[in-house]
Order: sequence, then structure tokens, then C-alpha cells
Amino acid sequence: FRFKDSLAEDLGRADLVISHAGAGSCLETLEKRKPIIVVTNEKLMNNHQLELAKQLHRDGHVLCCNCSTLVETLQSMDLSTLKPFPPGQPEKFALFLDKVVG
Amino acid sequence: TGGHTAEILRLLSCLSESYSPRHYIFADSDKMSEAKIRSFEQKRSETFSNSQFTLDRIPRSREVRQSWISSVVTTLYSILYSLPLTYKLKPDLVLCNGPGTCVPVCISALLLGLLGIKRAIIVYVESICRVETLSLSGKILYYFSDYFIVQWPDLKEKYPKSIYLGRLV
Repeated sequence: FRFKDSLAEDLGRADLVISHAGAGSCLETLEKRKPIIVVTNEKLMNNHQLELAKQLHRDGHVLCCNCSTLVETLQSMDLSTLKPFPPGQPEKFALFLDKVVG
Repeated sequence: TGGHTAEILRLLSCLSESYSPRHYIFADSDKMSEAKIRSFEQKRSETFSNSQFTLDRIPRSREVRQSWISSVVTTLYSILYSLPLTYKLKPDLVLCNGPGTCVPVCISALLLGLLGIKRAIIVYVESICRVETLSLSGKILYYFSDYFIVQWPDLKEKYPKSIYLGRLV
């Protein structure tokens, strides 16, 4: 899987995604509007990777757990509590850039 | 590097054709960015007929968790390498989003400006992954960029000179 160019197809078919806290994985999954459980491993991860996972969890977009609580989370999860994740707006960036570059 | 490339390509997605030609610079150790960039440009050329872009590699400035002292050395080496490249390209605008690779390029662009050779506008967009703290590149370029954009409000509070436009990617 590591060397697949894109997981888009697999993501499209999934009902639930269990992922590490990498930003790309989280964001791609959220964009496809699939429920996601983010598994964090504080020993392995750079601290900054946790930032996004924590924020997404705070905002109710993802479920979080660590390796030891994964089974428990799967058994007791309520996916309906997850809120949809609004898409980013690159057009705002384009507008900004047009203004400053002239 | 991969994640940064995916993000920056999203940032580019709405730019008009006046942002041309586009020069992509990435680390020599980066295996995946080239494919992503080519695919992006390929799609773009389906809409815009006059799409021009180039690809260049420079030595990677710093590995993850590389020590301070050796990072300074490797970054200096990357600067020496990127200076002639930046001089050749003479960009009007330098756009970056945080990989270590961007620091030598921005420094080169700054030097060219200071020497009166070419003044580029430097725009830095911190990665969406950065919610509460800035990356090391961000901490450095906060002081040296013309426009420093963050994607989460906490960072705007901590770094008042930054610009918050909401989530861009």
C-alpha cells in the first residue's frame, strides 16, 4: 500500500477508516466524508503531527484513540456524532495573492 | 516533500494563468513530488493552453530531527546550491509552505534582493498541520517573508504579523 500513488479509490469504497494521525491521511479521508478513527502513538510521532489530530478531534470531525484503546473504541463508537468537515478554500488564497502581486 | 507538495499544489489550484512560468524546487531526496507536480501541471494544461513549468532539485537542507549544528552546515550547503539557481530563475514571487527545502531558496531570494539584482515577493503559507505551533521553517521565515499566512486562528494570535485567511487547503 505504501507505494500506491493514490488511495482515493480505496477510500471511496470504505465505510470506516482507521488511520494514523498523518495530516494527509486525515484530510483526504475527511474530504471524502468518510468516518475516521485516528490512532495516535505519542511515542512514535513528532509532536506536531498530534496538533492537527487533536484539533480535528476537538472540533468533532474525527474519533481519537491510541493503540491500546482501539478495540474498545470500535465497540463503543457512535459515528453519528462526527461532524462534516468543510473543505478548504484555495480560492481565498488566489484572491489574496492577486491583490498583493498586483 | 510529499505532504508539503500536495498542500502547495492545492494552494496553486485556483491561481490564474498570469502566474506563469512556474518553477518548482524540491529536495533531491524527494521521490514522490515530481510525479505529483507533473500530474497537476498535466491537468492544468487541459484548461490553460500556455502552461509552462520547470522542475529543479536542490540538496535537502535538513533531515527530520537532525541536530542543530549539522543542520546549519547542510542548510548552508543548500544555500550555496540554490543561490545560482535562484539567480538564474530570478523569480518575481516565491511561494512556499514549510519544508526545509524552502529556507535556502528564500534566503537566496532575499540575498538577490539585497544585492539589487532582483526583488522577489516572498509569501509563506504555514501548513494546515500547524495548529498551535509554527514549523522551524515558519519560525525563521516569519521574520523574512513579505507575507506570512497561517491557517488556524491560534497561530494568528501568537504571531500577530501573520495573516489569517481561514483554511486554505
